Amino acid sequence: MEIEHIKADVLCVGGGIGGLMAAIRASELGAKAVVAEKGNALHSGKGGGGCDHYLSYIPEIHGPDMDAFIEEMLQTQQRHNFEGLGMNRIRVHIAKTFDIVKMWESWGIPMKYRGEYHYAGHAFPGGFRCLMKYEGRNQKPILTKKALEKGVEIVNRVMVFDLVSDGNKVYGAIGLNTRDEKIVVFEAKSVILGTGGISRLYPSPTPGWFNNIATRLSLTGDGRAMAYRAGAELQNMEMRIQHAGPKYYARFGQATWIGVFRDPQDRPIGPFVTKPERLYGDITPEVNKNIFLEYAQAGKGPVYMDGRGMSQEDLDYMMYWLPHEGNTPLIEHMKADGIDYLKHPVEFMTYDQGSGGRIVTNEEGETSINGLYAVGDELANGVSNASVFGWISGENATLYAKGANIPDGKEIQDLIDEKKGLLEKIRGQKNGPDWKEVNVALQQIMSDYSGALRTEALLDTGLFHLKRLKQKALESIIAGNQHELGRSIEVLNMIDIGELVFICSKERKETRGLHIRRDYPLTNPRLNNKVHIIKEVDHRPVTEWRPTQK
Amino acid sequence: MPPIIDEDKCTLCGNCVDICTEDVFFGSKKKQLPRVTYPHECVYCNACVEECPAEGAVRLRLPLPMMLMYKPAPTA
Amino acid sequence: MTHIIMAGEQMEADVLVIGGGPAGLMAAIHAAESGAKVTLIDKANTVRSGSGATGNDHFRAYIPAFHGPDMEPVVKEVAKSQAGWTRPQSFVRTWMKTSFDIVKMWDDWGIPMKHEGRWEFSGHTFPGKPFTTLKYSGQSQKPILTKEAKKRGVKIVNRVTAFDLITDHGISGAIGVHGREDKIITFSAKAVVLCTGGCVRLYPGPTPGWMFNRADSPHTTGDGRAMAYRAGADLLNMEIPMRWAGPKYFAKCGKATWVGVLRDPRDKPVGPFVTKPDRIYGDPISDSYKGLFEDYMKTGKGPVYMDCRGISNEDYDYMMHYMKHEGLHGILHHFDEEGIDLRENPIEFMTYEMTTRGGIHYNEKGETSMPGLYAAGDEYFGGISAAATFGWIAGGKAAGFAFGRDAPSKNAGKESSEALKNLVREMRNRKDGPSWQEINVALNQVMSDYIGPTRSDTLVEAGTAHLLRIKEKARKDLVAKNQHELIHCLEVLNLLDVAEVIFAAIKERKETREKYIRVDHPYKNPAFDEKVLVCRKGPEGPLTEWKAIND
Repeated sequence: MEIEHIKADVLCVGGGIGGLMAAIRASELGAKAVVAEKGNALHSGKGGGGCDHYLSYIPEIHGPDMDAFIEEMLQTQQRHNFEGLGMNRIRVHIAKTFDIVKMWESWGIPMKYRGEYHYAGHAFPGGFRCLMKYEGRNQKPILTKKALEKGVEIVNRVMVFDLVSDGNKVYGAIGLNTRDEKIVVFEAKSVILGTGGISRLYPSPTPGWFNNIATRLSLTGDGRAMAYRAGAELQNMEMRIQHAGPKYYARFGQATWIGVFRDPQDRPIGPFVTKPERLYGDITPEVNKNIFLEYAQAGKGPVYMDGRGMSQEDLDYMMYWLPHEGNTPLIEHMKADGIDYLKHPVEFMTYDQGSGGRIVTNEEGETSINGLYAVGDELANGVSNASVFGWISGENATLYAKGANIPDGKEIQDLIDEKKGLLEKIRGQKNGPDWKEVNVALQQIMSDYSGALRTEALLDTGLFHLKRLKQKALESIIAGNQHELGRSIEVLNMIDIGELVFICSKERKETRGLHIRRDYPLTNPRLNNKVHIIKEVDHRPVTEWRPTQK
Repeated sequence: MPPIIDEDKCTLCGNCVDICTEDVFFGSKKKQLPRVTYPHECVYCNACVEECPAEGAVRLRLPLPMMLMYKPAPTA
Repeated sequence: MTHIIMAGEQMEADVLVIGGGPAGLMAAIHAAESGAKVTLIDKANTVRSGSGATGNDHFRAYIPAFHGPDMEPVVKEVAKSQAGWTRPQSFVRTWMKTSFDIVKMWDDWGIPMKHEGRWEFSGHTFPGKPFTTLKYSGQSQKPILTKEAKKRGVKIVNRVTAFDLITDHGISGAIGVHGREDKIITFSAKAVVLCTGGCVRLYPGPTPGWMFNRADSPHTTGDGRAMAYRAGADLLNMEIPMRWAGPKYFAKCGKATWVGVLRDPRDKPVGPFVTKPDRIYGDPISDSYKGLFEDYMKTGKGPVYMDCRGISNEDYDYMMHYMKHEGLHGILHHFDEEGIDLRENPIEFMTYEMTTRGGIHYNEKGETSMPGLYAAGDEYFGGISAAATFGWIAGGKAAGFAFGRDAPSKNAGKESSEALKNLVREMRNRKDGPSWQEINVALNQVMSDYIGPTRSDTLVEAGTAHLLRIKEKARKDLVAKNQHELIHCLEVLNLLDVAEVIFAAIKERKETREKYIRVDHPYKNPAFDEKVLVCRKGPEGPLTEWKAIND
């Protein structure tokens, strides 16, 4: 494999909303910004198909008290999303949202509905509506265009999989080209990780199928894995997250659906709405995402998203937003199968989204490694968070880069040699398991030993199996081409993350949220307002409890 | 994915192709190296190995999701 | 792409046996011995096909020299192990009465039925109860039975899958599809014996989405049940679930071959029966409690290990010998490669997925509800001894039936053969559409989510609607790139029919009884005592009927 070198002041790993916003800002401030993207920035990432809701605070609409807005917001599903991030950081985020909204609008992303800022969905009747409806279908092409206009260099089909760092400071990153037999070495003064969430650590709704997922196949926690290997701190890796949506057809966009969640006897399962309500939706599953699973397990299910009784106008409204949320194929399927939402309630289910852990960053977006930043789903879900912290990190990374230089030491070369060796070894292996096989093996270990129910014995056993799997995967995984090589590296990244999930789950000897320790059923009040940190010290994982940032 | 044919040892007798219950070797031609057309359908029953006249010409590779979950022996 | 045309072919016999496992081969052997012209068709190759393909090591039998003159305690014990409330005792009595004849026959043919020169019974037994499983060395049973069938003039047609019975004027044969050539074969016969095995691939297996990691042969897909149902025959007990247990993830039957103690993570035995490895009893806790492994995992008390540590050298050798004969070669090979030593490494076990215990309603003569149609083996679950015994009985009866009737008319089967030709031509010539795997996965998830361990009216109702939609799509859209995939498509269509019957039966059985659990009816309904639930095809889907168990 030949080696290509690319130099940058600011390297953005991942060309999603976070990465593009960071690159745009860095370039604006005069830095040489490069985006390395696994797919094609035009439609890659979780926001690649669109989005229709943007968490934002507009004083003229929500009133002058931002803290009241935040308090209300934290009663919705955002409470899981922002757990452990600290109030100051949340304030920085929310305060910045309106600026970004205006910026996006000026770039051509329609943020208004019928001429006005319009908030709906994910809300309690009578409460604040925190989510602005916007037409995000073309957000990625628009942001990509904007980045190119500002002079950002976008390198598509390159998967960055390791950082160059001395454990204290970052100097760049190494990637592989997923189409040509090439390794790309980025020499960068600062690096911004924005690789998105983790979609394939736990099994999807359809047994053994990787692509039936609410997000994207290629979101595999690469950022968290490489940050950890570079010595950065991660937090709360053991915490699980769930999502909900149409049964079997895993897609985000639950709040775009207007209707009432009802049981088979047509009784609403929640106390909030009794008829379809477009401004609030039915927020029941945001109080408990597990509710569909609980109904199914108790034999009381299925639970339906029921739009019967809604007006044609509301149906048109919902059908207007679904494509912006990236759900056009779903609409096509409904048409093809004669599913009339005014007549046919649609079953919903709980999806398992895997680890909710994140890279530790401060209010500037910087991680515990100098020059290394993290944005987007590396921290918390949502387009709003990605765009705001993309912007903030891009700014701070540029400031940092001004005072930094790239060393051309032997260490970089050693790392390049090591990684090149690994990639070539995988390409050269024969008659071994392919990435899918390893991924299925990983998923079943994760869900059986560190899934909905955890105990010391299960975690110990599962960790032993996982380490055995890791060793076998490293020894024998095969890749027939660069595409499969990328998939193999993704799976190795997820195995690293899986290991952290096990270690952190063992250390959290309490039950909290979806982390259910059958052997420690108490929620330990001493761990309230604490975050669980893990990092690598001398090639060993070290964990620590730390107060949540202020 | 299993089975794996050793080209050097295979005698091209076609026994494995005849015998396989799942017809993993579907589409193989007589007197030619067996083609593993449907590796995911192998059930590790060992019939092809049993009926193979050449020791080691066919072996089964167990996929990782099926590896046995054993308990390690305490280290001395 | 060239247009695929299916060639037609005709074959004739007195007795047509469908499926060449132990049941089918025994049926064919007996029918041929009785003087009938017998054709046996097998999806694969009878030398190694079916759930007994590479071996078996235990055979339920009553042997007077071992058990003494009173057969009744053995009958009672076997009935209990087979969920006795679902079948009449007379059935088990016939089975046990005939079993020793079969044992002697097999021994004569060269299948070693003795251990070191004596009748050896062990495993699947509770201390103090009569032994019912004879240890034998069955690794070569299939090649041997195939040879015996050929010796008696049975015509064996391999790589042909029967899909529909011919019912023009009573049962008159079957239509089959070749698994390698573009060919449809019409078998005309005076009597038919169905022996296609169990019903694997209905529910998701231990490894998500992997169709072929199964405890039993994944090639057995309820074909016999489905074609009997479509022909109008009765199925019974389809709603009664059955589950196996064995090594975690590496799904293979043969739990009783393991000589060890089932222990929890703290080495505490999970059952009361044994505290050290005992080759005579194995650890029978998992016989009476197959859900044990799953329950331990669900409650956080697991995993549960099969722990052979402390086994004597002699018992270890015994276990390894019988593992080979039980067909556990894959596992033995894996031990070698990984350096797993059962004397040191306990192995995690798990509860495997569900299937149906029920099947074609056949009596102790092997007769189904339709004259001229016989069934044996796992067409209704029973294990290898039941397969061999009732195969033998059914073959004899089928020959007798065939002698009493004329050959079906030349035109019999024309219509069904044309219908099948059209169906398969469409699947072969279609370009875009779901593969068999897609439909099978869709079926699997509906089965496990709507009529898995949790069953209720609302789930059955919602699931039935989903199933019917999948079924319609399958018939309309399935794509087969070649004959191999075509067979899998037909298997999936069979599974969908079987699934429909199971949904209908669950809807009807509004109660909880042993392993059959309805969360909305958590009690045993005395009205159903001594009754079985029969399903047959009606004009608009399955019809159900409660019958007295001895009918």
